[in-house]
Amino acid sequence: MDRRQFLQMLGLVSGAAALSSCGSDKGQKELVSLLVPTEDGIVPGTEAWRPSTCCECPAHCGLLTRIRENRPVKLEGNPRHPVNRGGLCLRGQASLWRLYHPQRLQSPLKRQADGRLQTIPWSQALAEIAEALQHSRRQSRQNAWLAGRTSGTLNALLEEFCSSLGIERLAEFEPFSHAALRQSYGLLFDRADLPRYRGDQADLLITVGADLLETFLSPVDYTTQASALAADQKRHWLHLEPHYSLTGANADDRLVLTPGSEGSLLLWLLQSLASQRRYRGRWPQALQDLLPASDLAATAAATGLRSQQLQQLASRFARAEKPLLIVGGVATGHRNGQPVALLGALLQWLTALPWGGMDFSAGENYSRVGSLLDLEELSQRLAADRIGVLFVSRCDPVRHSPAALGLQGTLAKARLRVGLADLADDTTDQMDLILPLAHGLETWGDTEPRRGVIGLLQPLRTPQQQALSEGDLLLKLLRQATGKSPAADWETYLQRNWQNRFSRVQLGQLMDDGYLTEPQPQLSIRLDLARAAKALQGLHLQAPLTLPAAVIAPSIRSFDGRSRSLELLSEIPDPLTTISYGSWVAIAPQTAARLRLQDGDELQMKTAAWQSKQPVRIQPGQAAKVLTLPMDSLPAPATGIDPLTGEALRYCEALHLKPTGKRHRLPILAGSPSQQGRGLIPTPVHRQQKHDQQNHGPRASFYPEPHYENYRWAMAIDLQRCIGCSACVAACYVENNVPVVGAADHLAGREMSWLRIEPFYDEQGRVDFLPMLCQHCNYAPCEAVCPVYAAYHNPEGLNVQVYNRCVGTRYCSNNCPYKVRRFNWWQHKRTPPLDLLRNPDLPLRSKGMMEKCTFCLQRIRIAKDRAKDQKRLVQDGEATPACAQSCPAGAIAFGNLLDKESGIYRLVHSQRAYRVLAELGTEPAVHYLRPE
Amino acid sequence: MPKWLPHILLCAYFGGFLLLIAVLAWFRPAAHRDNSQPIAFPHTVHAGRLGLACNFCHESVAHGPQAGMPAVAKCVSCHQAIATERPEIQKLLSYQKKGEPIRWRRIHQLPDFIYFSHKRHVSSGLDCSACHGAIAEMKEVRRVRSLQMGWCLSCHRSRGASFDCATCHK
Repeated sequence: MDRRQFLQMLGLVSGAAALSSCGSDKGQKELVSLLVPTEDGIVPGTEAWRPSTCCECPAHCGLLTRIRENRPVKLEGNPRHPVNRGGLCLRGQASLWRLYHPQRLQSPLKRQADGRLQTIPWSQALAEIAEALQHSRRQSRQNAWLAGRTSGTLNALLEEFCSSLGIERLAEFEPFSHAALRQSYGLLFDRADLPRYRGDQADLLITVGADLLETFLSPVDYTTQASALAADQKRHWLHLEPHYSLTGANADDRLVLTPGSEGSLLLWLLQSLASQRRYRGRWPQALQDLLPASDLAATAAATGLRSQQLQQLASRFARAEKPLLIVGGVATGHRNGQPVALLGALLQWLTALPWGGMDFSAGENYSRVGSLLDLEELSQRLAADRIGVLFVSRCDPVRHSPAALGLQGTLAKARLRVGLADLADDTTDQMDLILPLAHGLETWGDTEPRRGVIGLLQPLRTPQQQALSEGDLLLKLLRQATGKSPAADWETYLQRNWQNRFSRVQLGQLMDDGYLTEPQPQLSIRLDLARAAKALQGLHLQAPLTLPAAVIAPSIRSFDGRSRSLELLSEIPDPLTTISYGSWVAIAPQTAARLRLQDGDELQMKTAAWQSKQPVRIQPGQAAKVLTLPMDSLPAPATGIDPLTGEALRYCEALHLKPTGKRHRLPILAGSPSQQGRGLIPTPVHRQQKHDQQNHGPRASFYPEPHYENYRWAMAIDLQRCIGCSACVAACYVENNVPVVGAADHLAGREMSWLRIEPFYDEQGRVDFLPMLCQHCNYAPCEAVCPVYAAYHNPEGLNVQVYNRCVGTRYCSNNCPYKVRRFNWWQHKRTPPLDLLRNPDLPLRSKGMMEKCTFCLQRIRIAKDRAKDQKRLVQDGEATPACAQSCPAGAIAFGNLLDKESGIYRLVHSQRAYRVLAELGTEPAVHYLRPE
Repeated sequence: MPKWLPHILLCAYFGGFLLLIAVLAWFRPAAHRDNSQPIAFPHTVHAGRLGLACNFCHESVAHGPQAGMPAVAKCVSCHQAIATERPEIQKLLSYQKKGEPIRWRRIHQLPDFIYFSHKRHVSSGLDCSACHGAIAEMKEVRRVRSLQMGWCLSCHRSRGASFDCATCHK
């Protein structure tokens, strides 16, 4: 053998050895014969849908849970549920991240003398609690139970538990307690309750501070109502607020007023309306005399609105057939909160109640919820050493009570502090014993978010940890302390309760549909003149806040901050600022110019009692002397208590602003706040310049013309309805196993979201949202440049990416004018058990692969499979991508363009339809309907 | 330096490399070479002699993407009484007793990024043997087709089935 032959042989052998080790088939080497056949009707490798209820916020929307391989992989709104009617917000979508959260509390923990936590068995935890309960009873200290909002059968059990153990059940704690509203309805109508506002029937909606789209009472419900209202030319929606919120951004009109001046505005409105002929008969003169004087000029001066604007507002209000005014949110979170709520309620009584604009019979279930005043009382009792064992369940009072309350210090006085939670928070950090709670998808249960609506919780996954449902925990504790308990376990207790309360038919309905509605008696709401007079006697409007002032605004991404530990929600940018990770303060462009600040520059905000340093984000449309601090990551989102209502104060006034000179790198995902004149969302100006193919002559192409036989999938996005809430983005992340990459990658421009919401501001600071995803172009620029034919056009019009063929040249991404292709720079791994949250219908993309929106190919495949079984084509509405399904505003439609009867065909051929960057001749399959 | 030394060193170097490959091949973990199934299930008896239809055990073959493996309870429903004294049946019964699922070694396997539906293939009139071979005559199941893309496409071409990548590539 000569040297050359030897080397050839060697190369052959080593090459063969190397090649044979390619193509790993790890993880698929087994076929499992289960012990017993699967549940009835479940075919291996297919999905099952089970109803449930979302517990991420107090709204409790109805869910359909998609089950694959025995675990929940996707949540969708239940289309028939009376609360959300099919929509689900981004927090609801992300609540699966709570179920599989790597930091879920695993087992009972006990704080050692040195402050560290030690794992202890349940038996020890329960024994210690029982002993402490007895001990404090002997020393005549009160034991107390503080919980977040509780409803349904758990409420009954908690009542039973507390009464048999002599535990005092404190008023429930919710950071958004809506205490001022409930108080005003109590004072005026003797009904301290939160009605369901019927924005769906109003022809004029005026919202004062109430953030309908973000956190107000039942966000998905109100989103559906408000977006329909905004899309209807005949109806009008006007929002008044001092800062810039997503709700304000989507109203037909947004008026900016001085913070704290809402009371003056409502007073003037009330007086001018009461003098109208239509309302004069209804308005009692006795009350008129009690109201403070008000005139146009003073109101204009106080609110910062022009008199003309005010008059317009009043005349519109007076003309409307069915006007509805909703007051709430930040409008009641300042020292004028009580007058605002009272005057708002009077206006509602005058204008909305007669036509049924407020439904108290379907009121939100807040009757057990207290306010910060109750927390203050608890703090005083703690300080006086009168509390023995304190339980804190499902709420975070330490974070949400103002520093003035000193709760953090007084908590230490309780003899034993027991926290019940699923994830650690500021409150559990102060607890002696921490008991892990099961997730809503892991246990049986029911909820009653709204009177007459009962939602079902059922276990869809066995808890991997030692977490217990709160019901089981109560029963165990009861047995430990008294030796007997009303039921063997929570499921038995629940079943017995259900059987006593519901008929067999109702129970069947609850199990099948996941919810139940019970007819409620209609309530007649009367204005109690004597009570009203008493309430109005003390009415005193204080001066508006001193500017500059900062608004601590609730967040669509984390509600009151409770969802901020779900990483997915940090990955999805805030819709208005497009900042993903970190905290910031939004300031007006004028203020930024005056202080010579740019995005990311640190600004110090200081008052006598409070100070904070935050990087700046310039927000077009923001009022000059008002700053917005999003609530997500502020350590103390309440600055004080309103002593009259118990609401948290959400303002810092008379700020001293000083740039510190430091600069932070903010992950701002939008390329530009403006459209740079490109007409991405065309205005009449753009429409005159004909951006269509007629100007470009006949198409010349090397490639065969696309030809579609049965399907041409297309999407229509109604920009008039889109509110930028990002529910679609969250749904896309969960459905398509899109990797969550973190702040460092976002700063490097390597975000992975297949679908993004682009806010575009005009010169007046008004914003339009443009959801941007793969456009599935007829003549896709990405396809022509792929050297390995990984990006190709399929016979149904989809622009398909064949992952295992992709070699990562990134030519396609460079050639895409819409910037929707995402490259995997890393092998994205998820910390267990988050890796279980995976849709098995899609592969996980590995490092070096390009990926992008597929129009949810896997869902189309399922629909086609079903249609093929019945030997027909897919019908309209059968295939729905995750984004379209989750949209609470119904802005996204999807379907087959070759079907002339389909909804999508009608939308694509509507007057408003256009395509983004149509002048490039890519002929996208995504059509947008421009806002009018 | 002697003239032959570089030759010897070179041979030793490459020879050592060859030796390394040989050793690695020899000492690959035993599990990789163990081709036996946890229970020596004879298709020759069940599908062959008894003539049971494939979907008697692989129940979901016509209803879903996966053919499905019979649950232990299904096997035991017959073998409670039949041939209980045989060692392999004893093994089966011990799974039932221990409450443990059987983990079979997978013979026909497609990559993670491929969507394959048994239902679609069976309902288009394809016989199981087209891909799996004459299982009824195999004492131990072997893979007789490559299950590579080229092989799939040859059949798709001849039968006029879909040629779209997205039909199979997830």
